[in-house]
Amino acid sequence: MKLFDPTSTPVLREVKLARGPERLDGLRLGLVDNTKFNSDTLLAKLAERLRRRHGMQFALTSRKRSPSHEIDERAIEALRSQADLVISGIGD
Amino acid sequence: MAGVDEAPEVAALIEAYFHAGWTDGLPVVPPTEASIAAMLAGAGLRGDEVVGEIAGRNAEVTAEKLAINAVLAGCRPEYAPVVAAAVRALCAPDFAYHGPASSTGGSAIVLIVGGPIAGRIGLNSGNNAFGQGSRPNATIGRAVRLVMMNALNTRPGLLDRATLGNPGKYSFCFAEHEDGHPWEPLHVARGLAREDSAVTVYASNSLYQVYNQLAAAPEPLLLCMADALGNLGSPNLRGFNESLVVFAGEHADLLAASGWRRKDVQRFLVEHTRRSVADLKRAGRLPGPVAGADETTWRYVFEAPDDILIAFAGGRAGSWSACLPGWGKKWTRSVTVRVDAPPVNRRTA
Repeated sequence: MKLFDPTSTPVLREVKLARGPERLDGLRLGLVDNTKFNSDTLLAKLAERLRRRHGMQFALTSRKRSPSHEIDERAIEALRSQADLVISGIGD
Repeated sequence: MAGVDEAPEVAALIEAYFHAGWTDGLPVVPPTEASIAAMLAGAGLRGDEVVGEIAGRNAEVTAEKLAINAVLAGCRPEYAPVVAAAVRALCAPDFAYHGPASSTGGSAIVLIVGGPIAGRIGLNSGNNAFGQGSRPNATIGRAVRLVMMNALNTRPGLLDRATLGNPGKYSFCFAEHEDGHPWEPLHVARGLAREDSAVTVYASNSLYQVYNQLAAAPEPLLLCMADALGNLGSPNLRGFNESLVVFAGEHADLLAASGWRRKDVQRFLVEHTRRSVADLKRAGRLPGPVAGADETTWRYVFEAPDDILIAFAGGRAGSWSACLPGWGKKWTRSVTVRVDAPPVNRRTA
């Protein structure tokens, strides 16, 4: 008698990873706020600290519809064109 | 048993499914080529058709995997269209699968079935509609959960991070009454035809039975419901909620006799499901100390009448209804799909 596998494996899709920056100084900073409680506060503090320590320039914040939803393509394009580094958060 | 793909007899096969981690903790019905084929025929699908996908997880549910999980759950082939419709609804963008499936909130996926198919396959809409004892109710909901676990990788401790979870995560499927409904069925209220069969998929974090044996008019009954919906521990008290209310027994009779329409009930609940800012601050649901006009400043749980889904099910006797607070409409919205609708995506795997 045979077992039938009920599972699915993830569909493989090619993804190109951006090269990480070698240094932070003077980079443009993008934020992705997933709308969880205090995510905006924490991200703002991080941005301020990065500005003071590394002279990073805050460029834009993209606010997600909710933590459940994926970030949309338009927001990704804006982040890609206006920021060198993006911080996303937060989890719980 | 590790790594086996065959077993000499049924009991060993059942153990092998446990060992592989492919069950919900209960024994499964081992599928055969014939039972999988029958399930696909019941759904009207080819095995390689994609029934739904969750893009953020690079996950797809093919009809073959759906059929295997439906057999494992104990479904009969005639239940398969309901399972397939429910999976399509889970994969709809508005449902935003990742949140309700993976959150610490541990929501149950509630399936509300309406229309002719409910009676045709024997779904229970009556006594103990949320409880045990009805094969279609038990196995359709179970099949959907097994699809979530096995085909969408939503496993406890991995991509299911429920802090407590709830028993509805094993299975939660019921039908609405066809007859004697105070109003139109839920799927009709949501734009489908009365003769359509439909499944509404809804993420709920709990089930609360609401009692009132003395109410002789809608208002006192609905005040009890509003109080239950607006409890201080409810996850969403900031106006972006969606909740399910199920009227049953004598409460449904009372509402039917009152002349109140569905919209009247919804509006009343919108207006009365509220907490003062002072209450919310005292309970730590809003920051800061109680001040000024906080005692008389209200926060409403719902924004609009349609944020409250209303269904009619359960026994005809008894002074019980139920509310099932939702998981927050900002993060997920209930989705209603026709059971006989073609697959969203007829692409093959």
